[in-house]
Amino acid sequence: MQAKGTNSLLGFGVRPSEGQTVGQTGNQRFWSGLVAVLVAVGVYAFANANETRMGLFWVLGLGFGAVLQRSHLCFASAFRDTFLLGQGRNLKGIIIGLAVATAGFAALMARQVPNTALGTFPPDAHVLPIGLHTIFGAVIFGFGMVLAGGCVSGSVYRMGEGYVASWVSFLGIIFGLLAASFTWNWWYTFTIKDSPRIWLPHYLGHGGAVALTFALLILAYLAVLWWEHRNGAVAPDAPFKGEPETNFRAVLNNLRRRVFVHGWPVLLGGALLGGLNVIAFVSERPWGFTGEISRWAIGISNGLNVGPGNLLGVNLIPGCVLDPGDGGVLNYMLFLVIGMVYGSFLAALFSGEFKIRVPKQKIRFVQAGGGGLIMGYGSGTAVGCTIGAFFSSIPSLGLNGWVWAVCLLIGAWLGTQAIKRIP
Amino acid sequence: MAKQLDVRGEICPYPMMKTVQALKKLAKEEHELVVITDHAPALDTIPTQAVRLGFSVEIQETGSPEWQITLTRKP
Repeated sequence: MQAKGTNSLLGFGVRPSEGQTVGQTGNQRFWSGLVAVLVAVGVYAFANANETRMGLFWVLGLGFGAVLQRSHLCFASAFRDTFLLGQGRNLKGIIIGLAVATAGFAALMARQVPNTALGTFPPDAHVLPIGLHTIFGAVIFGFGMVLAGGCVSGSVYRMGEGYVASWVSFLGIIFGLLAASFTWNWWYTFTIKDSPRIWLPHYLGHGGAVALTFALLILAYLAVLWWEHRNGAVAPDAPFKGEPETNFRAVLNNLRRRVFVHGWPVLLGGALLGGLNVIAFVSERPWGFTGEISRWAIGISNGLNVGPGNLLGVNLIPGCVLDPGDGGVLNYMLFLVIGMVYGSFLAALFSGEFKIRVPKQKIRFVQAGGGGLIMGYGSGTAVGCTIGAFFSSIPSLGLNGWVWAVCLLIGAWLGTQAIKRIP
Repeated sequence: MAKQLDVRGEICPYPMMKTVQALKKLAKEEHELVVITDHAPALDTIPTQAVRLGFSVEIQETGSPEWQITLTRKP
């Protein structure tokens, strides 16, 4: 955000805001920032030496985390605020991201499956079984994310910004995924096993599926605009107010503050997330991480002999399906998840938005933990969170992404009714 | 002295919800509410809700990260 003075980490020779006590001098901030960046470089070197894709996914994680932090893009807010408050800022960013990812995913999938008449699926695309588990999981996920004040990706990036409640949410998500693994076999036999995976290009060809997806995205965007307008005025994000660009130093300083201090436009943030998602898919698999988080929970509990044991059919389902792992510790997806937290931390540190924030009301911890637990169970059952089962599914041209979105919206509405009653 | 609402430490959507509540409760003769927040996303959500309730918005950065949002009733 803009200010009279800025106290960003990269701020050389800037004066602090009026009436403000500065805890750290500019020098201290510079050095702590340098150390933080060096740690990121060090982890990259370690990951890259292990496996090239570990290094790549560390960098992608840093990118996802930094973009989420810089554009304040929150999936929970998108589904909560749009239809209840008539504010569609975040949902518009997400729709742009979906459009970018759809273009990239479609190009890749058209090469993977040139002939759609054969009925094969593109490997790793998030075309997931649609059934009662999808509806149930997505609805409770929506409820949980509103209760907790952030979905899984939101919690992950707020962990990096210093929100203590989000760490509690994350703990809840881990235990929720573990709980889901204990009931997985029941859900699998009950509905998942016989649920269809519907890939639009099988019915419409590549061109038709992409055209339909773009048409639906445009309609969704227009619907958000109409709804916002119906609800009254919409204040734009605070504009950037730089210093007069009288010399080149001022030009550079304004540029630095635009990138590192001032919040990014949400449409840019959404488009960048879509672009990073395409890079992830082209190099390995689409963005998603509840599968990886479940790998920690299931791996540790199995290691202690209190785990869920054998999970039916998980190797038949792509995306963020529960993952028992192979007993190893390091995995490229691990670097993605940790990278997101660290990327957000770095971005928050540079912009001066990092702060350990502890909620004053104890009930917030209950909301965060309970909401996390519900989200974890929901994402374990519905095969993914707002990222894997939605943000990576619609561009995979799977029908499941759209079903997920509608159910999420219903859950978010229910969640809002609940938090209105929690002061 | 304008009324103050301190929502530091609060997570979304409480900073915005509490601000809207406070604005609705503001007595007729009171014209100003100052919201103190350390939650950057609130800077995107509070202005729109305040404008719809007939208030003008001014944001000032007062800390790292802390903001004062001054909401003034439009005549």
